[in-house]
Amino acid sequence: MKALTANRLTDGEVVFWNQGRWVERFADAELFAEAGPGETAEGHAKAQPTVVIEPYLIDLIEAGELWAPLSYRERLRALGPTNRLDHGKQVEGGDVVEALQHASGAARSTGRVNLIKRK
Amino acid sequence: MPALIRFEGGRMTAVDDPFTEIADDEGMAPGDVIISLTRFQAEGERLLAEGRSVGVRLEPAEEVEALAYDLPRIALVALAFPKYRDGRAYTSARLLRERCGYKGEVRAVGEVLREQAQFMVRCGVDAFAPADGSSAEEWEQASRRFRHVYQRASDGRAPAFAERGE
Amino acid sequence: MYVYDTLDKEFLADRASEFREQVGRRLSGEITEDQFKAIRLMNGLYLQLHAYMLRVAIPYGALDARQMRKLAEIARTYDKGYGHFTTRTNLQFHWIKLADAPDILDELASVDMHAIQTSGNCIRNVTADPFAGATAEEVDDPRVWAEAMRQWSSLHPEFSFLPRKFKIAVTASPKDRTAAKVHDIGLVMKRARDGTLGFEVIVGGGMGRTPYVGSTIREFLPAARLVSYLEAVLRVYNRHGRRDNIYKARIKILVAALGAEEFGRQVEAEWAQIGPESDLPDTELARIRSAFAPTAFETLPARSEAFEAAKAADKALARFARNNVKPHKKPGYAIVEVSLKAIGETPGDASADQMDVIADLAERYGQNDIRVTHEQNLVLPHVKLDDVPAVHAALAAAGIASANINLITDIIACPGLDYCALANARAIPIAQDIAEHFRDQDRAEDVGELKIKISGCINACGHHHVGHIGILGVDKKGEEFYQLSLGGSGAEDAAVGQILGPALPAHRVAEAVDTLVEVYLRERSAGERFLDTFRRTGAAPFKEAVYAGAH
Repeated sequence: MKALTANRLTDGEVVFWNQGRWVERFADAELFAEAGPGETAEGHAKAQPTVVIEPYLIDLIEAGELWAPLSYRERLRALGPTNRLDHGKQVEGGDVVEALQHASGAARSTGRVNLIKRK
Repeated sequence: MPALIRFEGGRMTAVDDPFTEIADDEGMAPGDVIISLTRFQAEGERLLAEGRSVGVRLEPAEEVEALAYDLPRIALVALAFPKYRDGRAYTSARLLRERCGYKGEVRAVGEVLREQAQFMVRCGVDAFAPADGSSAEEWEQASRRFRHVYQRASDGRAPAFAERGE
Repeated sequence: MYVYDTLDKEFLADRASEFREQVGRRLSGEITEDQFKAIRLMNGLYLQLHAYMLRVAIPYGALDARQMRKLAEIARTYDKGYGHFTTRTNLQFHWIKLADAPDILDELASVDMHAIQTSGNCIRNVTADPFAGATAEEVDDPRVWAEAMRQWSSLHPEFSFLPRKFKIAVTASPKDRTAAKVHDIGLVMKRARDGTLGFEVIVGGGMGRTPYVGSTIREFLPAARLVSYLEAVLRVYNRHGRRDNIYKARIKILVAALGAEEFGRQVEAEWAQIGPESDLPDTELARIRSAFAPTAFETLPARSEAFEAAKAADKALARFARNNVKPHKKPGYAIVEVSLKAIGETPGDASADQMDVIADLAERYGQNDIRVTHEQNLVLPHVKLDDVPAVHAALAAAGIASANINLITDIIACPGLDYCALANARAIPIAQDIAEHFRDQDRAEDVGELKIKISGCINACGHHHVGHIGILGVDKKGEEFYQLSLGGSGAEDAAVGQILGPALPAHRVAEAVDTLVEVYLRERSAGERFLDTFRRTGAAPFKEAVYAGAH
């Protein structure tokens, strides 16, 4: 399973793709079971350079009943920093946030499909 | 004819470029040409004897010192910026102007963006083949953006410390 | 503080307006992200994990109250009410919107601040001794030279696209608080026998993937020739530094490849050709010196009875005085270090309210002068001993009176994977863990000077190579692991630490540090710091203890 993510150009916010729209919560992200549709969406996303920066697909794993990004880095992007639980998306709470906080295993480097160097 | 911007008398002007750039694996064209340093060393003598104007293209790793004795007969030096971020040619330009006393055209070619305008002008570059489609007006604006500069360079502009002394 | 004149102010205003236009071109799609990235990085604007990060330059770590209040205001208005002081003595805002960045640069320019060259392959913010102008140790005020270098390096036409970033440190004290020997250029001011001022020039130090302690290429450079000599060093580097491999592009690699002697020879040859024309005229140096608003000191007795009495009555103040209060060149004054390492907090973070408190204290008690150290703390360099109790009380009320400067809980940590797009592992939680572990202040004081430095990746923003205990986060099969190294130092006795052994999982790090400390306490001779003991015994006893029982 995969999801498509990027940072929004105007404010840098982490966003996820859902049916042609960008949503801010991982819980609202569209999940791609097949490679084809995911790549098609990535192609559409890349054609929006004034909306988002460097969209890319990420791998997901099962976290309890739900899905979570495979890599720790992507889970941090979907949640916020662990030293400030009052900052970032994690503030909202909810099932998916909790599932992400408890997901385990996996590398930063394995979760990022088509890893791009980024600064 | 590719767009060329020339910096003359404090103004940026779009001009026609009479020179043809010849790659090392291309056959020679008639008229005024820009060739690599290697090719100049092999064929420069003959081309100059034909009465044409010859410019030499210097790659960032090529040292301007290699051209020192030929500078009086070279019509222009084209400094290559293979990448925006490759800053070696700025040193080349300053050495051409300040150490070799070169008065001919120094042209920036390659990934030449208006963001570099002021740096290039200050180092003594006076012709630009922009890669970002920018106009002479935009280059002029970019090169004049800063009312003050802090260093002495090739352009003779008074640095802040000299302005303060006035 | 150096007071900006019209030229300095107009320069900043021009830069801010240029950036506003560039952001506009990016938002409208006129330029691509790739093109814009180089532009925004030249203005210190990064894209991190959660948002943009703006790195504000604090030239040579010096701020006045008005500037600190502006940083607090920006933190409240455009960020989440805090900022992060870095090992380059800059301030990072971690939650910035691109669309706000031009307004923030205008705000900064209104108080003579900017984000110029806080990123990119150019000459970065110069580090100077945070005790400059206050310590009796120095032979001159290094800020004068740091300011001269700030101006010289700002939008330098020839050296703005170097092979890689370039960092300069300057100190005028034998005790090095700038990590000069692990900078691209370290300048140590000295006075010759005839009284003339000059610099020992050290080049090719650095951290990152290939750490080096720098080599001296000139024992004594007459001070007035500084700029031309720097031009020579930079020119040799710009021409010959590697550009084919980002990890081999720093000047340290060139110096190591050529040998310091040959590199020095090339610099001298270039310098001879450049000549003194590029140097700053004496009149300009004098102007810069006089543009530092003079500090008016009162004539006071060396001992403050009020301070002594307050210490006797208040254990916390006495502890603060032991660890955070340093001797000043003027009798009756002290240098007060403000620790941003409260137990359990993020190293280097300060809230907007705390920034305001520091600004108030600087204004009321500290000659309107604030410094940032590369160890992510703040300094009030000129406080009357009589006023230290009041300063301490105000700091305590704001939660920034930790009496732990140079102790085991005064930990340097980069933002790590919690924020940084380059990191492999988190650094902040490890620092918090260790600090919690050594919460007992008596024990921390008994352990004495012990510098722990943590980086979340090999780029070494947390200076782990030069930690007495260095900790490097690595990604090992998808999990955060931490490699320990011992015996490093960024001070005048600079050294690169030795890796102790295999990396440890996060939950074992604090416990391993505890074990290292126990070995030190067992092995130490009188007066030895952790570092001294390690240098005497070597790694063996430490290694044995940490990996005992590991298979």
